[in-house]
Amino acid sequence: MIAAIPSAVLIGVDGKLVRVEVHVSNGLPGFTVVGLPDAAVRESRDRVRAALLSSGLPWPLRRVTVNLAPSGVRKGGAGLDLPIAVGLLVASGELPPEAVAGMAFVGELGLDGSLRAPTGTLVLAEALRDRLLVVPEASVAEATVCGSGRVRSAPTLRRLVDALVGRRPWGDAAPTVPVPPGDGTPAGDRDLADIRGQRLARRALEVAACGGHHLLMVGPPGSGKTMLAHRLPDLLPALDRTTSLEATRVHSVAGFGLPPTGLLTRPPFRAPHHGASAVAMIGGGTTWMRPGEISLAHGGVLFLDEMGEFPTAVLDALRQPLEDGHVVVSRARGATTFPARFVLVGAMNPCPCGEGGAPGRCRCSQAARERYARRLSAPLLDRFDLAIRVDRPDVDHLVGGPPGESTATVGARVARARHRAVARQGSANGTLSGARLDRCAPVSDEAATRLELELRSGALTARGLHRVRRIARTLADLDGVERVGSAQVAEALLLRCRRQLLLGGEDPR
Amino acid sequence: MTARSRADCAAALVGLPGMTPVRLGRLLAGRDPVAVWSDLVAGRAGVDRYHVDAARSTDPGRVGDRYRAAGVAVLLPGDDGYPDRLMADPGAPAVLFALGRPRGLTGRPAVAIVGTRSATPYGRQVAAELGRDLAAAGVSVVSGLALGTDGAAHTGALQGVGADPGPPVAVVGTGLDVVYPASHATLWGAVAERGAVLSESPLGTPPLPRAFPARNRIIAALADVVVVVESHHRGGSLYTAEAAARRGIPVGAVPGSVRSPASRGTNGLLVDGCIPIRDAADVLVAVSLASAGRPAPAPVPEEGALVAARGRDRPGRRAAGVPSEPSVAGAPATGTPERAVLDAVETEPTPVETVLLRTGLSLAAVAEAGHRLVVSGHLRSGAGWWSRR
Repeated sequence: MIAAIPSAVLIGVDGKLVRVEVHVSNGLPGFTVVGLPDAAVRESRDRVRAALLSSGLPWPLRRVTVNLAPSGVRKGGAGLDLPIAVGLLVASGELPPEAVAGMAFVGELGLDGSLRAPTGTLVLAEALRDRLLVVPEASVAEATVCGSGRVRSAPTLRRLVDALVGRRPWGDAAPTVPVPPGDGTPAGDRDLADIRGQRLARRALEVAACGGHHLLMVGPPGSGKTMLAHRLPDLLPALDRTTSLEATRVHSVAGFGLPPTGLLTRPPFRAPHHGASAVAMIGGGTTWMRPGEISLAHGGVLFLDEMGEFPTAVLDALRQPLEDGHVVVSRARGATTFPARFVLVGAMNPCPCGEGGAPGRCRCSQAARERYARRLSAPLLDRFDLAIRVDRPDVDHLVGGPPGESTATVGARVARARHRAVARQGSANGTLSGARLDRCAPVSDEAATRLELELRSGALTARGLHRVRRIARTLADLDGVERVGSAQVAEALLLRCRRQLLLGGEDPR
Repeated sequence: MTARSRADCAAALVGLPGMTPVRLGRLLAGRDPVAVWSDLVAGRAGVDRYHVDAARSTDPGRVGDRYRAAGVAVLLPGDDGYPDRLMADPGAPAVLFALGRPRGLTGRPAVAIVGTRSATPYGRQVAAELGRDLAAAGVSVVSGLALGTDGAAHTGALQGVGADPGPPVAVVGTGLDVVYPASHATLWGAVAERGAVLSESPLGTPPLPRAFPARNRIIAALADVVVVVESHHRGGSLYTAEAAARRGIPVGAVPGSVRSPASRGTNGLLVDGCIPIRDAADVLVAVSLASAGRPAPAPVPEEGALVAARGRDRPGRRAAGVPSEPSVAGAPATGTPERAVLDAVETEPTPVETVLLRTGLSLAAVAEAGHRLVVSGHLRSGAGWWSRR
């Protein structure tokens, strides 16, 4: 007897339809899996056998061949346990073929016959959207997010078989879970109002959130750089539908827990340690492609603390994704595209001793500071629009200072300004360049004169000019004006990123 | 045997492998280098065998040619150009190499300005102002062309203008064809052109750690007064101060914040009784006192220079080579954002954050006011900070 059960495996961030063909025939009892299975799939033999026996179902003492079609694609993950078990039951005559007609199965089996959630259910369900999908109970929310909504679930193999033959009803997992509107409630313990002083940094965060500008914070240890960066995701507007699905897929594929609704609606925050390898950052792997930190941060914030400590190769690998908004990870077996559009927030000490710039405190020689600054390559530094110095706050402000604006207040302003930008040019200001800047960010005559003065004195470079215009555009959006004026340019000049910040020294004039 | 010149033989002696200033002094001991060389080659000098072997394979004429090609003068005590002040010095170099015009030092007051290489903006500024105002008053500024204080002092000295500006003099620890630090190549050239660069190391000597304390003694010996601008606790410039003190040369120190590690050494010198130096006028007073006891009296600085150096109007603004600064207008009117920002900024670099908190103004207002104050000449600006001029 032969049975063919539709299922799916993960290839990068996409689900690939796989037909699990099970053939049971007379011959020496045995069990072989063909069709490029990886170790996890080959081991499913033992899990399936134990699960069947613990569920009181028979294990055929005959020759069993399982083929995973198309046989040319390497298949990984334990999600094929369930379709193999169901195929085996059909092929050995325990289940009538009609009982599984039009159905697809995804799930991992426990030795006790329980059904466990596989990684990447969301994308697997997407590949199987035209079928009635059966998943473990734990995966229901994830499976319904972008599948057709026709999802069934069972807690154990035994219950599944009962439901298939009509002995017991299906579990009452809601067949359709509507995607909820963005909850938009920031976590209470990360409010911007908790931060005393730091007016410059708060403003920089607001601008970064509004325009999606990458932000570099330079300051001595203990000045609050990390605390500030943690506040940024909550200032960002909720993810739009497309980004939300992309981000959810990445998190699902990486095997991360998803919110109860199954869909990621708040911008994620990722803060990899500086020991992270290039593959951990960009994505990759040998048997299955795992998304890297930059993709896990898709739609949200990638925070690199102690940026100077990251290996240069890892930092420079960020340059292309920062430009393109996605990353193509190529291996001998194929290439996978992961989304990677995020706001990069870097934090570093100004010099090896950490006290740099504070007059008289720094013991580093100019040469040492230059060496330290060189850890950020010029092309990478160019990706940052904003850079600020963060100093330890005064004791006066820590103790008695007035509380600043709350995340909700600033977030509302950011959302309004972001709306203006998107209505005008269809994207956030951080992506504007060249000709689009001329069209979208016209400057007043007074502001143009000011920019010319800076260019002539050598304090501003051509690249810096674009940076200043992008920031000024965002500042104008926050102020609610269409034309970039001199006030916005003056402020943008202070907020712009430049190497000077790491080296110290005076402006040319 | 062809007649050899004294300079060629002296240069060849310095260039022998393993030769140190001390060994050289013992070998020459006031004798004629030509005779010493002949003795050495003949094996009569009583020195190590390898010196003799090296000398036998060396042609002093060829060595001299290298120095002539590099434009480097070889000076022996008593030669025209060998600084008078070194003649009587116990640690005087037996042979001195010079680029430029070492003669310029003769008959002029000389002040050494030294300090830490990792100088703060304050230290660099003070060193540059001292250099500029002293050069303008006709004083020769002696320093070491190192990073930080030294470089700032020389840069300032080159900007000093006056009827007869003092020539800058640098004493370096490397060979005169090895520019160290490389980033000071332009400054090095300018000092050689306007004044002199001196060294006791032969051509091709790389920067060796031991050469720098040794050259510090020459800096000290060349000066009438040694001014330490900034020095960390046990910093290298304290050796210069010590070398000066041992020679009875007055040492001045620029006071700094008691919280600044870069001023710990200098503040310590003040506690030990060194002359406090606030500006060029303080130095000039010390110079006239110091030179009063000297056989060859230096020209007394003009009264005008003292006044200019003390006055609120900083004379450097009229320095040549510096683009004419916009004249400082009167203080901005009370109640304006400019006034608030100016009041919030200190003479030390003040971060933007501090200005924001002190003024309570918006970032845009602070940015605009700060810019206007920079243009009007009230403030200096850097990446993320302002400071008062």
